[in-house]
Amino acid sequence: MTGRVGKMLMRVIAVVAMVNIIGVTSVWAERTPAPTNTRLYIIWPPDGAVIKGGKLWVRMGLRNAGVAPKGIEMANVGHHHLLIDTDLPPLDQEIPSDRNHIHFGGGQTEARLEDLSPGQHTLQLLLGDDNHVPHDPPIYSKKITITVPPY
Amino acid sequence: MTRQIITCLVAVMMFSATANAGDTPAPKNAYLYIGWPNDGEVIRAGHPFRVWFGLRHMGVAPKGVDRPATGHHHLLIDTPLPPLDEEIPSDRNHIHFGAGQTETMLELPPGKHTLQLLMGDHDHKPHNPPVYSKQITITVVE
Repeated sequence: MTGRVGKMLMRVIAVVAMVNIIGVTSVWAERTPAPTNTRLYIIWPPDGAVIKGGKLWVRMGLRNAGVAPKGIEMANVGHHHLLIDTDLPPLDQEIPSDRNHIHFGGGQTEARLEDLSPGQHTLQLLLGDDNHVPHDPPIYSKKITITVPPY
Repeated sequence: MTRQIITCLVAVMMFSATANAGDTPAPKNAYLYIGWPNDGEVIRAGHPFRVWFGLRHMGVAPKGVDRPATGHHHLLIDTPLPPLDEEIPSDRNHIHFGAGQTETMLELPPGKHTLQLLMGDHDHKPHNPPVYSKQITITVVE
């Protein structure tokens, strides 16, 4: 019972916060307004890194916003998506979920990659809202390129 | 109804008082660490620095969000670990990141300081087993 009350309370708080941020008129718009001054970036690896063996932890950095698992509707949060060897998807739709678009709906802030083949690969982060849709405006990192030398 | 809730809360409090950790299970291999600064780092006074929170095999969720294998960060400054079966204190030595933040800016007075991370569950209580980082020491110089 306390859980249900808490959930309702949180929903109310989230809605109130949204109203404060974007005004009453656009509350029901589909895309979640982005927090201000948010910066999404790849902490590690650096652009141009050479990764022997193709196995690495990607550390996902986010400033002036918080991480929340998928399905959590709150102001100023989102969850990470790692784009591998692909360009940004359409930014007004749900982010695809496949081997090039890895979702971190559990609120993870690091990603283990184990099967990068030898050659060049690109990595980019894109934040998704509670429905896996990018914010408005979208929050994404710089795209970096890493190289896996021949095994 | 209120009485039921109170009875329930009292029961939960009594139960947790007998345990040496919180009630929320932590993933077995959860790993919490301070990504930066490094242990022993020397930092110039008057220059705010960024502390980033590293977490593996576990996720971040804002306070109040009850999801398996998640928690939110607490940064302990110049203090040892608090009791691990109670709500983490909230004061200038125990900074809560209940909005799901994964890094912060810090400015500390000259001298030696310790930093340590501790995960809290949706109720700000450590997990079972508790998930905390190594305590590091940094020096702020004039």
